[in-house]
Amino acid sequence: MVDVKLAPGAEEVAMAGMIAEMIKANLEKPEKLKDFNRLKSRVHILAEDAETEMTMVFDKGSLTVYGGKEGKPDLSIVTDAASLLDMANLQIKFGMPWYFDETGMGVVKKLLKRELKIKGMFTHLIALTLLSKIMSLN
Amino acid sequence: MALTYGTDEWNQAYDALVKERTESQSKPYVMGTPEWVAQYEELIQNDAEYKEAAKDWEGSVVIKILAKPEIGLDKDLYMFMDLWHGDCRFVKIVPAEVGESADYVITGEYERWRAVMAKELDTIKGMMQGKLKLKGDLPTIVRAVKASARLVDLSASTDCRFPDELDAAGIEDLRALLKRAEDEFGI
Repeated sequence: MVDVKLAPGAEEVAMAGMIAEMIKANLEKPEKLKDFNRLKSRVHILAEDAETEMTMVFDKGSLTVYGGKEGKPDLSIVTDAASLLDMANLQIKFGMPWYFDETGMGVVKKLLKRELKIKGMFTHLIALTLLSKIMSLN
Repeated sequence: MALTYGTDEWNQAYDALVKERTESQSKPYVMGTPEWVAQYEELIQNDAEYKEAAKDWEGSVVIKILAKPEIGLDKDLYMFMDLWHGDCRFVKIVPAEVGESADYVITGEYERWRAVMAKELDTIKGMMQGKLKLKGDLPTIVRAVKASARLVDLSASTDCRFPDELDAAGIEDLRALLKRAEDEFGI
């Protein structure tokens, strides 16, 4: 049984429920579960256009999802709702997120144009890689 | 006694209603009416961008507009899209039990769908804000996000009149039409 839970009140934040559901479904794949069991990080996501935010606390095999900002995040992702789903559509190749197809290039372009901001991406690169793999539906 | 959905009789009578309404009503059609739905169906069927984006898509999608009696929508309205690998087999208004059994049901209040169709609300954003609720396998629909977005873009590109823009007589006409649809088609 995968340990993904919503903190009290998080069910009122639709984005939190959606992302938690996506991750839960992804963890049925053994390779994603392996990454999930390695990840210890606090990730904040703000979908600016939807004016909604959430925090995910990964703790090597468990995930608690909070509605809103909770604590001091290691990674903070600020973007729009559609770009978050682009991230979920990243391909994984050779065990890494793949940035060389249309979806990947789109994500890179958004990073360069600051339409996608990831605070902590250089200091928590491994966590970001694991997160990308866990969140990717591919 | 309403006809049984899925039978030839139901389909033929529905097509006849669409034909009758298409010939008798002036454009732009009222959103949610069978003639408007048929116009939307035609747009999807002829859209190359949708066909490409949805080439892997399998399954039916329902747009569920929650009832709003003040504007003539006395019951929830289910707009059923039968979609398969880039093809749109049909888009029809269907009975509630058929609508609820679709692979994906996206539910929202009338105002939310109006905002989507007026390009004031993005569907993805609406779902993340909880303004639109999805029933169905979320990962599958996220994978097909471009196809979903195109479907919505197309609904927004149909020239239409919104029920809340109708005068009192127009609202009563809409109510009467939907009552007829209920009596004849179980919608």
